[in-house]
Amino acid sequence: MSGYLAGILALFSINLLLAYAVFLPAAAGMLNLGAAGFMAIGAYVSAYLDVEYGLPLPLCLLAGTAASTVMGCLIAFPILRTRGVYMVLATLAFGEIVAGLLINMEAVGGAAGYPVTSFIDMPAIAALAACGVLLVVYILSTRFGLAMRSIHDDEQATALFGIHVRRVKVLAFTIGAGFAGLAGALYGHHYNYIEVANFNLMLSTYTLLYVLIGGTQTAFGPLVGAAIFSLLPEVLRGSEQWRFVIFAVLIIAVMALRPEGVVTRHGLARLFGRKREAG
Amino acid sequence: MADLLTLDGVSKSFGGLKVIQDFSLSVAPGSRIGLIGPNGAGKTTVFNLITGVYPVTAGRILMGGEDITRLPDWRRARHGMARSFQNIRLMPHLSAVENIMLGQHLRARRWWDQMAPLGLMPRNRWKRDAVAALEAAGLARYADALVYNLPYGVQKRLELVRAAVAGARLLMLDEPAAGLNPTEREELLAHIEGLTSGGTALLVVEHEMGFVRRLCERVVVLNFGQKIAEGRPEEVQRDPQVLEAYLGTGAATGAAADAA
Amino acid sequence: MILLQQIINGLMLGGLYALVAVSFTFVIGMLNFLNFSIPGIFMLGGMLSWALMVQYALPWYAAVPLALLAGILASLLVERFTYRYMRTRFGDATEHAIPLVSSIGFLILFQGLVQIRWGADLHNFPSPWENTSLRIGGLLISVPQVISLALALTLVFGLTVLLRSTSLGRSLRAVAESPDTAQLLGIDLPRLIPAVFVVAGLLSALAGVLFALNYLQVSPVMGDEISSFAMAAMVVGGLGSVWGAIAGGLLLGLLEVLTIFFLGAKVIKPVVWGALFLLILLRPQGLFGKPSVGRGKF
Repeated sequence: MSGYLAGILALFSINLLLAYAVFLPAAAGMLNLGAAGFMAIGAYVSAYLDVEYGLPLPLCLLAGTAASTVMGCLIAFPILRTRGVYMVLATLAFGEIVAGLLINMEAVGGAAGYPVTSFIDMPAIAALAACGVLLVVYILSTRFGLAMRSIHDDEQATALFGIHVRRVKVLAFTIGAGFAGLAGALYGHHYNYIEVANFNLMLSTYTLLYVLIGGTQTAFGPLVGAAIFSLLPEVLRGSEQWRFVIFAVLIIAVMALRPEGVVTRHGLARLFGRKREAG
Repeated sequence: MADLLTLDGVSKSFGGLKVIQDFSLSVAPGSRIGLIGPNGAGKTTVFNLITGVYPVTAGRILMGGEDITRLPDWRRARHGMARSFQNIRLMPHLSAVENIMLGQHLRARRWWDQMAPLGLMPRNRWKRDAVAALEAAGLARYADALVYNLPYGVQKRLELVRAAVAGARLLMLDEPAAGLNPTEREELLAHIEGLTSGGTALLVVEHEMGFVRRLCERVVVLNFGQKIAEGRPEEVQRDPQVLEAYLGTGAATGAAADAA
Repeated sequence: MILLQQIINGLMLGGLYALVAVSFTFVIGMLNFLNFSIPGIFMLGGMLSWALMVQYALPWYAAVPLALLAGILASLLVERFTYRYMRTRFGDATEHAIPLVSSIGFLILFQGLVQIRWGADLHNFPSPWENTSLRIGGLLISVPQVISLALALTLVFGLTVLLRSTSLGRSLRAVAESPDTAQLLGIDLPRLIPAVFVVAGLLSALAGVLFALNYLQVSPVMGDEISSFAMAAMVVGGLGSVWGAIAGGLLLGLLEVLTIFFLGAKVIKPVVWGALFLLILLRPQGLFGKPSVGRGKF
């Protein structure tokens, strides 16, 4: 495989993992505008353990993922008490706080950035991303996933069937944070260099947007969203600046014409409906 | 006999407006009670207070002898109550069978039931169970359809099935017959009778007396948030206060009984 | 004396935050809609007045009104494709996150288009006055900053008068209570709601022009940072409260300048965002807000 293609695949895999970080809360009706914050935690923890203590790479990745998961769980409880606009602003603030703190941490290079020692290549990243897809497919197929999707539609009615809505939301948010942490850790080890600017509000925003373009009803929505986001710059090579405009028009159009996203359950059912009837 | 559900002097105000005043009610296990009254009398509010959609302002609610007044909604459901809604609240982006499976939650709380990848196992026992419930209601052919595409009458029945599969001790139906034509209404009656034949208690909100008369052994009449009558349907129907509530002051008594 | 100078600087900066915060809070208070296109309209105000003056050689008294007009038109465009579209299609717009998401799309769109036309760099904004600072007893006071603060206060005062005593204002307040009820009362929503966006567009674009006059620099991303501070100011003041946004803006300007003065520029972001985070969790209604606002379903 050519290096060019491998590069795109690695980026796509990382974007995909980050997409699921936003997708899991979104599938349960929550908007997370702080995904980059969790990604940064995973990236910096993994990189720090690698650089300072020379821990084996799998252990670093695990620690990075665990750190962002724990952080997700800790802030999920207070954040999920808020709703609507407040929640959007609280997650946004969280991402900015993480970035603001990291830039002041000289131990990890501060504003100058942080070189990462161990390298992880595309096949491993792609394999982990594939595991991520399978995990999300599994989660959505359980009763827990059913509860998530019910909460998305009607939180109050879901609770009246005996479902502990808060617990489901905290879990969805926490698992999502873990996905972001893994994405961040992989990012650091693949590019061997991280800086705070890699994990800014723009990344959180774009991730939320491409997840919503893909659709939050099925595990395949983020796949499509991440693919569009990762491939658009390649398709538009040479007209760099237009890609923002095209992306913007795309999000406005999708929200207006197909607010459930490109991939919907209804669409999938229509696509595969004939097969099901035959079988 | 110990009561299944007891409301003891329950009141509710919204910003000074008294919606329910000093309302008491007891539901015996396996009994069928109708809660009737004109529009805006507070019937749905009573349902919301029982299920914990909002807290009471005063009074106590007991379920199976336990005080549930301060419990959050999801914990109350776990005491064995399930309900339907006046304005349909199915999950529009879930399929019919998934909505029914949501209703099974009270019976599927062990961790392996929660963790099993039901969506990847086409013939798991929960899904079979849900499809059987749909079949019993004559809705099997809608099983895989997304709910928001389905006609109103079907959605109304789906809500009933969803509440029924919870296996609750108390089934609460909020205007199950609203918007149905006479044929559908007959089917619905038979369906509800079938559902409660196993000893499930039933609390039905209706403002149409004929339906309640045939289904319930006892009715409670609510007007302006207060209980104005209680008793067997045919007794309550002759109660002058009830007639006045339904038809206004000075209504002819004979005509009233028929109209109601 | 130095501290006093810092306080003055803080209040002046706060005046800008306040103006943008009022735009945010006004749309949220009326329509329960967090309009992320406001930083873009702010930027259009600054960038277009620069472009019209420098690239098209228009005098400032022509360039600035044209830029403001463009801001208003952009705001109406956002209204057309976010709020109104959702309302006509789903019967209500605020229960969905969709207008919020589309408004982010418009922010990216405006920034992208400006970047394609005029590049991503900073541009020097021509100062219409020779010397823009006044010296009063050792204190340096920038005239554009005084003007922006005064203008912000005047406009917001005008806005409250408009809301209190005109029939347009009464209709708007009815909409803020409940769009559905307002419609039942015979209020013509499709004609009224654009008024909210005209006000928001005007205020944001004006803030952009004032920012350009103050700092003499414009760029396609000039709205980003100031808008995050303005959003923080809005939360401090309480969502939907216009005077709260003013107070929040001034407070935040002070906080920023004093934090930089005492702790250095690098800690400003964690301090402001940390304060905002705690405020949302502990006192979401802010200092003056109505607790019911901003709690949409999503």
